[in-house]
Amino acid sequence: MTRSRASRGLSFLLLTIIALGLCARVGGAAAVTQAQVSSANEEILSAFAAVSVAERSGGNVSALDAKLNGAILLVQEAEDVNATDPAQAAADLQNATAAAQGVVTASTSVEHAGSAARQATEGTSLGAASAIVVVAALIYVFGGRVYRKAWLRVYRDSVVRPAHG
Amino acid sequence: MDKEAASIALALVTVLAVFAAIQPILPANNQPFSELGVLGPSQTLGGYPTSVVAGTPFLLYGYIGDHEGASGYYQLLVKVGNQTTLVSNSTYAQAPVILTYSRVLENNQSATFPLNLMLSDQGNNTRLIFELWSYNVTSSSFAYTGLWNQLLLNVTSH
Repeated sequence: MTRSRASRGLSFLLLTIIALGLCARVGGAAAVTQAQVSSANEEILSAFAAVSVAERSGGNVSALDAKLNGAILLVQEAEDVNATDPAQAAADLQNATAAAQGVVTASTSVEHAGSAARQATEGTSLGAASAIVVVAALIYVFGGRVYRKAWLRVYRDSVVRPAHG
Repeated sequence: MDKEAASIALALVTVLAVFAAIQPILPANNQPFSELGVLGPSQTLGGYPTSVVAGTPFLLYGYIGDHEGASGYYQLLVKVGNQTTLVSNSTYAQAPVILTYSRVLENNQSATFPLNLMLSDQGNNTRLIFELWSYNVTSSSFAYTGLWNQLLLNVTSH
């Protein structure tokens, strides 16, 4: 009697484990939905908007663009393999979303670096232009006088003789 | 050199030097544009198929270029239309999309990529329409760039 009860309990336990395993397998292999694909695409679009802001600030966005293209490829791959390998499709979408979110995060620092670089460039350019104008004005006002003084200093020991003396 | 000539030379040199100094902060691209091209199976402007078999894949190549002065998020849409399908620089075709290719391009960057296509319905003068769309950050949507191309095909049963 006790042995039969133990055997029945063991069978129940085994069936439960098998059922849970099957459920988990079915759940893991569920095809990704169009809503999930759209959500990943929305993340990529948001990331592109962040990249555009960073670029307008003067940031170098080459690496961010490359990451976005990687995310786009992952979404395309997810759609391609969705019917045959749903688990891979889900992983691809997850990676694409993570990549897009990483681009959003990184674009903030690129934006700051771009702003700083642009300010430095603008400062240098405007400073150089101002300096050129100031130097030109100084040459215009004092150039003749300075040239004559320098000429006299260079030729002060020279003796002027008549050409046919 | 008299004083007047020296003054004119100084003014000229000053203007040129100031222009060179502010060059880095001047806008670089005054006439932004994008590019769209459709290439044959050998990635050249030629060798396009005139006839394909329904249900059989065939290969073309797409070419897009970004000269807008900034990065662009482009979508090349391939649509199947017929002789009556309207498409122009201002109107996109109201026809089913059979393939979408998405790509982010940097300024002054271009890309060539394969387009694996397949037509299921037979017919003469089937129009394969290629349209370039780009993402508009301000309106948060893709907008038709006005760039399009087409290929006329006879789709046969075998």
